[in-house]
Amino acid sequence: MTDAATTDRWIRWLNTMQLVLAGVLIMAPTVWMVLSSFKPSFEVTAYPPTLIFTPTLDNYVELTKTTPFLSYALNSIIVTVGSTALGLLFGIPAAFAVSWTRISWPAILTLAARMAPGTLFLLPWYVMFRQVGMIGSYTALILSHAVITLPIVIWVLMPSFDGIPRSVFEAAQVDGCSVTRILWRIALPLVASGVAVSAILAFVFSWNYFLFALVLSNGDTKTLIAAAFNFIGEGSTQWGALMAAATLIALPPLVLAALVQRWLVSGLTLGAVKG
Amino acid sequence: MSNTAATLTQDRQRLEMAALSAPAVIFTVAMIAFPVVYTIWLGFQTFSSTGKQSFAGLANYSKLISDYEFWHGLWITIALFVLSLALQLVFGVWLALVLFHAKRLPGIVRSLFISPFMMPPVVAGMMWLVILDPSLGAANYILQSFGLPPSDWLASPSWVIPTVALIDSWQWTPYVALIVLGGLQSLPPSVYEAAQIDGASPFKTFQRITLPLLLPTIVTAAILRSVDLLRFFDIIYITTQGGPGNASNTLNIYGFRVGFEFFNIGYASALMLTLTAIVFGAVLAFNRLRGAVAW
Repeated sequence: MTDAATTDRWIRWLNTMQLVLAGVLIMAPTVWMVLSSFKPSFEVTAYPPTLIFTPTLDNYVELTKTTPFLSYALNSIIVTVGSTALGLLFGIPAAFAVSWTRISWPAILTLAARMAPGTLFLLPWYVMFRQVGMIGSYTALILSHAVITLPIVIWVLMPSFDGIPRSVFEAAQVDGCSVTRILWRIALPLVASGVAVSAILAFVFSWNYFLFALVLSNGDTKTLIAAAFNFIGEGSTQWGALMAAATLIALPPLVLAALVQRWLVSGLTLGAVKG
Repeated sequence: MSNTAATLTQDRQRLEMAALSAPAVIFTVAMIAFPVVYTIWLGFQTFSSTGKQSFAGLANYSKLISDYEFWHGLWITIALFVLSLALQLVFGVWLALVLFHAKRLPGIVRSLFISPFMMPPVVAGMMWLVILDPSLGAANYILQSFGLPPSDWLASPSWVIPTVALIDSWQWTPYVALIVLGGLQSLPPSVYEAAQIDGASPFKTFQRITLPLLLPTIVTAAILRSVDLLRFFDIIYITTQGGPGNASNTLNIYGFRVGFEFFNIGYASALMLTLTAIVFGAVLAFNRLRGAVAW
């Protein structure tokens, strides 16, 4: 009896230790990035590295002074919000129709973008957008990023629509409601939380996306992610400013993800796993 | 009479449903299907240095077969894929088991565990670039304080691929863990109880019962990761751009550089179509595997 209790306590202790170890391995690099961003410039590159220092905002001030960080940030917001809105606009009705009719090929079609390498689309886009003089335009960036957001919206929302009892719709149909009306007036309010999760996930993945803006943006429309090279160039001597940039770029997706962490896994696996 | 009315309503409904899917379908055809067809056509073209374009038949594909960089890129892609996937599956299953036995996970802990893969890969690259700096980085300081030799990490041609695999595994192991955790939580508790009554050791229970039951979930995680790993781009492009030399020149990086640094759009198209075929082939193979381990 006491033996079993002791073994039990040992197992629990061992598990807690492993949990702490995993937590440290996962968190340490991010903590180091944030700490470095608050270090005085002479201390960022100190060797051996220091843990105790007087925190300063110098790196953040430096960053906004030496790079157009704020206008990059504005570009990121325009492209991300635009592509998320477009993804919702096209994705909500499509998810509803697929869920209702069980005809799933439109949803599977949008998944192609999740499987093929982005360069496959970027090559023809580049040729096409160049012909119509749209390289560097917000429109080209928003359209390309909507390729990321659309499948997220559709695949996160389909299970939500599936969860509404069909009798609800059938009753509305008997009352003479059109399908479109049923979607906007009855179904959409019932899946409001699903819409919020899909919008946040779409925002995060559009914000994080690197490849398209690398080619389709220009100096005026460059997003924060595509401008990362500028910060690294800047940071070859200025690690503090580089880490300040990295911290600020990572902040929006991390805060948003924390808000919806409970629903994240089922959303991220695009329906492959029920989380 | 009422039958015709019913058919009419049904037709109307079908039309309305088609109208609801139409924007998404038209957008996808315009942004993906048509461009892919265009890429196939581009794959048969050559572009001269002045940007003049001419039909080249299968020249790009025969070039690909004799192109050392293509085979090197394929090898790098596969090496990075196998190494990263192995790391992420092994540590992902371990982490899932640890999280599973912790039972109640406060939301804040879950948020911390998802933070690596919600962060932009580009930021992960910037962050690790500083940590892994050969002369001033924290990683080498930690190694040396344990009496271990320092490494050149991303700056070393022989270490760059394992290093990139480590960075990607730091980012995505928690993701694999959360998927596997979902699988663990959906297993019927009765199987464990039966094993416990039979006096099976925890290790035996895991090996003989938990692992086989988890295999479909693990294969699902493997599919989702494979798709990303085979078209690996962000972390490499931000840290090494395929270097040092060509040591981390994966197919996706190589294709991107051929297209947008050397502006050989035709050859880049042939490269990317080949990579796409590889990704789809891998997904199909894994899907068959999932069918084989399903229960």
